[in-house]
Amino acid sequence: MPRLLAILAVVALATTAQAHQLNVFAFVEDETVVVETRFSNGNHPVSGTVRILNEKQETVLTLSLETDGTVRFPLDRDAAASGLTIEVKTGEGHDDYWILTPEDIARGSGD
Amino acid sequence: MIPNCFTRRTALILLSSTAALPLAAQDRPVVAADNYPLAYFAERLGGGNVEVLFLVPAKTDPSLWRPGISDIAAIQGADVIALNGADFSTWPTKASLPRSRTVDTSAGFADRLITTETLTHSHGESGEHSHLATASYTWLDFSLAMEQAKVLATAMARQIPEQASAITARRDDLLSDLAALDARAATLAVDAGVSPIIASHPRYQYFGAAYDLAISAVEWDAREAPSEAQWAALDTMIAETGANLFIWEAEPSPAARERMSALGVIDVVFPPLANTPADGTFVELMDASLDRLEEAFQQAR
Repeated sequence: MPRLLAILAVVALATTAQAHQLNVFAFVEDETVVVETRFSNGNHPVSGTVRILNEKQETVLTLSLETDGTVRFPLDRDAAASGLTIEVKTGEGHDDYWILTPEDIARGSGD
Repeated sequence: MIPNCFTRRTALILLSSTAALPLAAQDRPVVAADNYPLAYFAERLGGGNVEVLFLVPAKTDPSLWRPGISDIAAIQGADVIALNGADFSTWPTKASLPRSRTVDTSAGFADRLITTETLTHSHGESGEHSHLATASYTWLDFSLAMEQAKVLATAMARQIPEQASAITARRDDLLSDLAALDARAATLAVDAGVSPIIASHPRYQYFGAAYDLAISAVEWDAREAPSEAQWAALDTMIAETGANLFIWEAEPSPAARERMSALGVIDVVFPPLANTPADGTFVELMDASLDRLEEAFQQAR
């Protein structure tokens, strides 16, 4: 009985992440940064704001998502020297980020 | 002329004493962890010969930590990246981590993970709804903590083969300590015969399930005094559950403890230790929490 109560109690209470959260993924290909977004239910957002931040968390670029949930921009090697953080906010109140380290960028650029 | 046996013996002594010396910081393999229990296990397993990288600031909830670029770069370079799994932290899904060096320490007991339900919310045209989630403080079931320690030890021995035998030897000591906590918690609960318990935050799902304790929870911020509305909600929950014991995840203010006492509820502090404690180690502090629980159970009976 106590075990049943414990299980019921935990089922009834809240904790961690949401099930249909926004997921952001980014990579570098041919001197271009490619950002892809998708909700965990498989759908992609049709609009949203993309902010590109440097290591000091300063915004270096702001873009809008394309209707297929992606966005591409040319790699600025100076701005990306210490890596980039890509933040995406959708109109439905979801947000997420992806971190590209200098090593990720070098690997994607074939350095 | 120096006898041959002397030079060989001297060389052996020198060799063995060198092997026993801790490695210099720059020579030590690195094990990164996403919570304090895993960082502690890595310290115990490494015995000073690994550098444990746990970058979450002291007053930050590790499950909510957002790393900077340099943090991720450091973690990417680790020999082993130890993750709690069970949806504990979100940052590992927001950067590229080397698969061969990353280990999810709870993947082996996925069938024992506890499902919870998040708060209801609404957006778009789908109306009000709630989401299923996973309780993530797995190590509070000390038998699961043992499973996590074993998985970490295996990963460390694989990635740091020159220390494999020492890691295996230290693993047995660590498992022995965790087994003692598990046995003690099980005995406590059997002897307790206590009423349902309420916790200040939903952290104790695995502890309750493992040791047959009915633990429900409010969601109080450990660093803030509860509001009048929160006290009223607690009063209602006490009436509904019949609870007469309350677990704080962090030391509350004296005023809050007085108020709890006025409600006729025995309260006890039981830090889940997701982040590094100011003093003491995982095993010492868990043992101390079990001491306090034992005393509280006796009072509550």
